[in-house]
Amino acid sequence: MIRNLIFLLVIFLGTPGFSQVQINYRTDNIPAELKNRANAVIRNMETTVDMRSPENVIITVKKVMTIFNDNGNKKGALVLFYDKNTAIKSVRGQTFNSFGMATGKFSLSDFIDQSAVDDGTLYGDYRVKAYLFNPISYPYTISYEYEIRNKQNLVIPDWYTNPDADVSVEKSSYTFISKPEDKVRIKEYNFKGNPEILKSEKFSSYTWKVQNISAYKPEPYAPVEDKYLAHVKIAPEQFTYYGHKGSYTNWEELGKWFYNDLIKTRQKLSPQTIQEVTELVKGISDDKEKARKIYDYVQKKTRYISVQIGIGGFQPFEAEEVHRSGYGDCKGLVNYTQSLLKAAGINSYYCLVYGSRTKQSFEPDFANIEGNHIILCIPSKTDTTWLECTSQESPFGYLGGFTDDRTVLACTENGGILLKTPTLTTQQNLLKRNAELTIDQEGNVTGKIKTDFSGSQYDNYAYLTHKSYTDQLKALKDEYDIDNINFSDFKLVQKKDDNPKATETVNLSIQKFASKTSSRVYLVPNAFNKSGTISELKNRTLPLYINRGYTDEDEIIYTIPEGYTIEIKPKDQEIRSPFGIYAVSIKQNGSKLYYTRKISINQGTYAPEKYAEYATFINRINQADHDKIVFKLN
Amino acid sequence: MKPIILLVFALFFSIPILNAQDFEYGQISNDDVILKNTRLDSNANAMVIREFGTARMRLDDASGRLFVDFQYHVRLKIFNKNGFEHGTITIPLRIRKEEDDRLVDLKATTINYADGNLTRTDLDRKKFYVEKLNKYTSLTKFTMPDLKDGSIIEYSYTIQSPYIFNFRRWEFQSDIPKMHSEYIAFIPAYYNYHTSLRGALKFTTENAEINNGCLNINGVMVNCSKMSYIIKNVPAFIEEDNMTAPSNFKSSINYELSDYMLTNGTKFNVTKSWKDVDRELLADHDFGQQMKKKEVFLPLLPQILKNTTDELSKAKAIYSYIEKNIKSNGFIGYSSENTIKKANELHSGNTGDINLALMAALSAAGLDAEAVILSTRANGAVGELYPVLSDFNYVVVKVNIAGQSYLLDASEPYLPFGLLPLECINGKGRVFSLTKPSYWHDLTANQKRSTRTILTGTLSPDGKMKGTLSTYSLGYAAVDKRERISRSTSVDDFVEKLDEQMPNIKITSHKIENLDSINNMLIETYEIETQGFDVSNPDQIFYNPFFINRTSTNPFNLNERTYPVDLGSAREDRIIMNIKMPENFILADKPKDIGIALPNAAGRYMAAIALDNSTLSVSQTLQLNKPIYEPDEYLSLKEFYSRIIQSQKTDILFKTK
Repeated sequence: MIRNLIFLLVIFLGTPGFSQVQINYRTDNIPAELKNRANAVIRNMETTVDMRSPENVIITVKKVMTIFNDNGNKKGALVLFYDKNTAIKSVRGQTFNSFGMATGKFSLSDFIDQSAVDDGTLYGDYRVKAYLFNPISYPYTISYEYEIRNKQNLVIPDWYTNPDADVSVEKSSYTFISKPEDKVRIKEYNFKGNPEILKSEKFSSYTWKVQNISAYKPEPYAPVEDKYLAHVKIAPEQFTYYGHKGSYTNWEELGKWFYNDLIKTRQKLSPQTIQEVTELVKGISDDKEKARKIYDYVQKKTRYISVQIGIGGFQPFEAEEVHRSGYGDCKGLVNYTQSLLKAAGINSYYCLVYGSRTKQSFEPDFANIEGNHIILCIPSKTDTTWLECTSQESPFGYLGGFTDDRTVLACTENGGILLKTPTLTTQQNLLKRNAELTIDQEGNVTGKIKTDFSGSQYDNYAYLTHKSYTDQLKALKDEYDIDNINFSDFKLVQKKDDNPKATETVNLSIQKFASKTSSRVYLVPNAFNKSGTISELKNRTLPLYINRGYTDEDEIIYTIPEGYTIEIKPKDQEIRSPFGIYAVSIKQNGSKLYYTRKISINQGTYAPEKYAEYATFINRINQADHDKIVFKLN
Repeated sequence: MKPIILLVFALFFSIPILNAQDFEYGQISNDDVILKNTRLDSNANAMVIREFGTARMRLDDASGRLFVDFQYHVRLKIFNKNGFEHGTITIPLRIRKEEDDRLVDLKATTINYADGNLTRTDLDRKKFYVEKLNKYTSLTKFTMPDLKDGSIIEYSYTIQSPYIFNFRRWEFQSDIPKMHSEYIAFIPAYYNYHTSLRGALKFTTENAEINNGCLNINGVMVNCSKMSYIIKNVPAFIEEDNMTAPSNFKSSINYELSDYMLTNGTKFNVTKSWKDVDRELLADHDFGQQMKKKEVFLPLLPQILKNTTDELSKAKAIYSYIEKNIKSNGFIGYSSENTIKKANELHSGNTGDINLALMAALSAAGLDAEAVILSTRANGAVGELYPVLSDFNYVVVKVNIAGQSYLLDASEPYLPFGLLPLECINGKGRVFSLTKPSYWHDLTANQKRSTRTILTGTLSPDGKMKGTLSTYSLGYAAVDKRERISRSTSVDDFVEKLDEQMPNIKITSHKIENLDSINNMLIETYEIETQGFDVSNPDQIFYNPFFINRTSTNPFNLNERTYPVDLGSAREDRIIMNIKMPENFILADKPKDIGIALPNAAGRYMAAIALDNSTLSVSQTLQLNKPIYEPDEYLSLKEFYSRIIQSQKTDILFKTK
């Protein structure tokens, strides 16, 4: 993963701020609308980025914040990340009680200092200094200012007007200062108004200001935050990045620099390694088959280990180094795979991407260093292949839900290209389950299940593949969360071809699955696949966003014992909505009862007022999923 | 308790030269190569083939300081990709004011077998990474190169630690199985350590012998006890839900210095008897001296004790004062970190600061208060045979009023007077007072985790139900609920979320009482509306009355259990519903009234349903009467819950006249 981005963002998301004007720190004059839903309010914040030179970017933050309660206290914490190339120059702060009287001061010596390396990373040199004030009563006000120096200007942190839902903003501003001759590209998103621009012989500056932004309630099924949060992105044309210099104004130039300056020099392979590749693909003529072979070789040979040293986390380890040690992070493994493919005469692209289950794309009209993950693309006019190189299990050509359906930047020798990764459709993301269950007189159930998972659902059981059999059976108890369920003869078969499919087969027994009274038996025929409920929001403000579509088809054939007569059975129904379809039916034929359920949900973005309809749709499905059959006992 | 500085005596020692029976580095046998996980545990992703450790004392010439040198050597086999995580190793080292732990002689090798050849890949020294985690700990990390299914990895290192108070402990058991785990401790005759063994495994061999002249002190050859322990075929340790610290159950050997002697025969007791501990702790600046500091609170008492009458109300007022005025800085410990005076001024301190301040304040008010040191659940159990102070990591207060004692912890919010946090309900604590010798005291929760829910409503013929739902929470149920409510910006926000999460129930108004009066039960009252019945077929109206806090999944779903289920406190939940039905509804069928019990009255569940005078009444009681259930009670617990789930699946059937 690319770390610099992440940590610079954190500084900004977490702690923008400032104050020169006389501010009344009394908390009783905060307007009521800024208190509503707020755990804290930014009274005033001034963020300045002063690009004195490409190697010397000074970030100054001054911030005054009133904290209302314990939840807000974390937002008052001052958390500063640093490493060899990012220096914390100064910090000072003060706290005030609700009357605005000063109660204490703090400086850098009051901060705790610790490693900021996450658990998933073997080594990184970034650290954090943090200060958390421990108040005895709320509300209180904290004011601080700090200065950070970056020795690069490739990444200028984005500015968000109100990054936290539960923190309202009384006043906040962002100023970007550069030399008059510096060319910078600036883009505002969801921002109303215009910056104040000052130009003089010595500098030019842009200032964005906002005031009185209320806290708001986070809403489920909302688009990614960048779609609705106001923010500003800045990209200088001429840049320095830890000794590397370059310039860009568009994706093409950025991708070109990235590849030629950071990647290309890391791809040298030893003659032995090249020889190994040659041997490996000997006799294969088709490029795709060669690539498949090489991918398989990489999966067997390497594993994902994150080590972040060197320049800012954008440059991969040497390919030969990965070959020797057998591990690397996403950059290292993609670079290694690309080098091996090159040795076999196959062209491929090193691609920057936002990796997450929620899809996030690069913006075509504003080139900027972005993303947090790297994947590999083998281009072809008709049959482009995408590879996830950090997984030892992924089928060849399968990206899964972490990087599907989004715009990525391919960095090539001749220039960057924006490409779109394949979409996994509602129909492809299929779960298909067939079960045959027999109910005995006591309501006990025995039977077998076969389930196919494909598309984005192929991954559903990925975590099970290398568990021991005993642990797999234990995990199934959580997958099928049914009281007194026991499994045997579990098998998971993965078909790793162009349309990967995982197939589960398992036998099961459930004691007393159907409940009895003296004269009746109750059975919820939908044994395995119940949809949850979603919140019914009163005032939906954001569009409804369904990130990825899917289809589930369940069929259960019950064999019922003699003497069970259906007294009541749920209605067969089909619910159609703009968001998808749900259909359920129960048919009886002698001692057989056929339960079928199909749900298919479409991805898409819908107007905010559609949310209520969606909630009704989903909650009706939840109800239908819990419907019971009542048998009368003869 | 301060670490004991033994610098002076250390000068008498010379460097011991000894070799224990380590196995040879990198000498792989054919057995190792063909070893499969079927050997011990077919579920294992990795297994230790052999592990050897030895610890001994050494005098460091340069510093003149005594060290415990701990040598570790392991060979393990990775069976598959899921075992690769065992190829990444982190060695934590202590950072101390006087002297840090040192890591020396680190080497690591991956050995692979392919096509009849063994290939060895030594880890490059540049790939040992050192990360300073925080001011107390640094980590040395490395990951093995060239890992494949079936790789054998081997590494060894020595840690030189100036911290000789706790001789190096050894864990025989970890999360992967071990074929052979061996530890040898060389303890100089002049040093006595209390040794404690934990876990259920038996030693395969255990041997004690005299090792002659292992230390040269001032020309006098000192003998060592050479203690050797081997356990073979050690199963993996698998953690389960609802259990206290894994360290209580993992097989391990632990040491704490009890006394040492000079060459002239003068003996120094370090931790010998509780009597000695009492004396030392009471004199300790960070413990006993803080307990005594009544003067910090004397001037504040008139204000704090305003409107109080008897001892109990005084104690409650002081508890509440400390709870509100000194907030936890996130660190725990039984000693004061900053002195209680400073903690009271800064409004911030560790648990030691807060609870010793509480004790001092209670004493200042003339109450009989004592300090109780204990070990939290995460920290493990304490040994009761002799004092092992390093087992303790927390302090609370015991106040005795009118023949009754109350355990208090002012460092956690939302705890009512007399209830300890669940983390502290862990065996016994040791009580220290200013006047009496110390003694053990059971750490139990003085309140059940209890809820009572009452629904009173009216059903209209269209199937709509309107009613009042009240919930009374006590004990940990109230603590948990108050915490949950506090995570919302306001009570209104909390209720709004609650309402939105229940699509079928609408909350039309609400009242939450005693939210801030933590000593009283928390009362939530909601006016609700719900579509309770499907009345489309008036001959058959099915109604499930178990829609409040329904037990839908079994918390005890394992087929077998190895360790006790420790819930921390007893529990009781009651639900009572009274619904006025339309006049023409007749009860046609209903779930059987049930009453089930766990053996020895360890738990009970009752449910009864009746329609009387058009009022449907449903009552349910669930009681778990013990805080701890033994593994052999597990299956009864499972069946108990299973029966509850089954009974709650059935409906009431109404017909209309």
